[in-house]
Amino acid sequence: MSYGLKTRIYRFLIYIMLIVLFAMCVFPIWIMLVNATRSTAEIQQGISLIPGSNLLVNWNTLTGRGFAISKGLFNSTFIAVSATVLTVYFSMMFAYAIHVYDFPFKKYLYGFVLMLVMVPTQIGVIGFYRYMSYLKLTNSFIPLILPAIAAPGAVFFAKQYLESAIVKDLIDAARIDGCSELKIFHSIMLPIAKPGAFTMGIFAFVGAWNNFLTPFIMISKMDMYTLPMLVQTLRGDTYRTEYGSIYLGLAISIIPILIVYGIFSKYIVRGIAMGAVKE
Amino acid sequence: MNAESIKKRRGKLNKNHYGYIFTAPFIIGFLLFSLYPLVYTFYLSFTNMTLMSRSYKLVGLDNFVKLFSDKFFMQSLGNTWALWLSNFIPQIGIAMLLAVWFTSVRLKIRFVGLWRTFYYLPNLLMPATIAVLFFNFFSLYGPVNQITVRAGIINDAIDFFRSTGWTKSILVYVQWWMWFGSTLIILMAGMTSISPSLYEAAMVDGATSGQMFTHITLPLLKPVLVYTLVTSLVGGMQMFDIPYMLTDGRGSPNGAIMTMNVLMYMKFSSNKGHIGAAATVGVMIFIITCVVSLLIFRLLRERDGVEEKRAARKLEGGAKHELWS
Repeated sequence: MSYGLKTRIYRFLIYIMLIVLFAMCVFPIWIMLVNATRSTAEIQQGISLIPGSNLLVNWNTLTGRGFAISKGLFNSTFIAVSATVLTVYFSMMFAYAIHVYDFPFKKYLYGFVLMLVMVPTQIGVIGFYRYMSYLKLTNSFIPLILPAIAAPGAVFFAKQYLESAIVKDLIDAARIDGCSELKIFHSIMLPIAKPGAFTMGIFAFVGAWNNFLTPFIMISKMDMYTLPMLVQTLRGDTYRTEYGSIYLGLAISIIPILIVYGIFSKYIVRGIAMGAVKE
Repeated sequence: MNAESIKKRRGKLNKNHYGYIFTAPFIIGFLLFSLYPLVYTFYLSFTNMTLMSRSYKLVGLDNFVKLFSDKFFMQSLGNTWALWLSNFIPQIGIAMLLAVWFTSVRLKIRFVGLWRTFYYLPNLLMPATIAVLFFNFFSLYGPVNQITVRAGIINDAIDFFRSTGWTKSILVYVQWWMWFGSTLIILMAGMTSISPSLYEAAMVDGATSGQMFTHITLPLLKPVLVYTLVTSLVGGMQMFDIPYMLTDGRGSPNGAIMTMNVLMYMKFSSNKGHIGAAATVGVMIFIITCVVSLLIFRLLRERDGVEEKRAARKLEGGAKHELWS
């Protein structure tokens, strides 16, 4: 067999496997979106790849049984956006300090933060619950938002990004012009680091949006439920056979992420590797 | 300009104390929202505190002793490791295979960016949604049974979530499905950062692609592989969302998918709300994860050191040999 032919057969087999994997990733999501528009009877008859016309009925069934979707969307968006802003701003600030200033123990401080990336600090959730209930902060969004100030993974990412983006001469020039340090950070550094901040922001947002355990432990009031908590109620008895509305509820919870990914997939895919591989 | 004013100006330009100011918010946030809760959890693990009673007392290591004689904890410990390993191994295997194909100059696979984008998609979706979705897919009247029965692959619908084997397999599949794309992207980034000149030199020396993989790619990829291994371990030991929501929240059937974190939540949300016992499970997860990640670093670094020494010795010997011949 010639070298060329062998390679060609090999490539053909690879493409088949790539297509199978593609189907495995996309098929479940597509079925979910399609089923969200079909009636329960249609869903029980079999699967289909073409949307049905039952969307409105499903929507009415879903919202009619206490699935407070707009409240859930609002709560999740509010928490995720606030957490994202805090993470991006304070991680950038921390990384900037490590990158620009020279102060004692700086290396140890950064090393410690790197170590934190590898430590399961989330496991302190029981202590966190007791501590917050002592401060009367359960059923409040504060314990879901404020911890975003200290995000070790984001600091790591920010540091990697700033190393390639920030020119120290620019900072010295601004200082001679009489800029305060905070102003330099705000009006020179942040604009330069915008693309990095943006990628970081997407990851912070997705993380906060998908977070289940912390709100699940902290929040017990129905009208403060976040989307993952609402989705969890779809498993219960209320919707037992209303498959169409179950799929619709599931679809609504991920459509915002699908849209974000559709627009910014390039940034996201590039961003994943940035946290892992040192140039 | 006299010396004093120069000194003054330099003092003005020396803003290094801002390093403390700029790092302070993170440090304060960390102390208040991460470290203190963690330390407090350790403290709680030495108490018999419950949600219902107001008073509690220190009970020393009682909780830990109880935990190790608790067959549920032993089961959850075994489950967590088995579930993590059985999704991590195929995950890194497939990701490695795909990464080699995608970066191969000989194969010239097209649309690499597009494939990657779709393979990564499941990772972004809400775990809660994924769990409920797959619960529906594999339920008795769900699409999987419909298709397989109608196609004649099986005669009767399978009640997947009554079988421990099936439930475990579904969970492992879902975890693999969520993570192989992410691992692929990280491995590819590691591979493309290896200098192509190394491969060119090897090719000139007549190395096969297998030899190039084991002698160039794997050793240089080691830091990335360690990163993947450790981050996956940290995540895997804390596995909660999907095993909690795929079945009834108690790891049914027969505790097949009851992970340590699920057990922690079960103790916390039980009728009495055993905070002390739940904290003990949390502390155990913490200790296990930290010890194992430390071991991974230690082992791989030490072996690194030995290899370097051996290589240096070889080089020395080689140099001597050349001189003498």
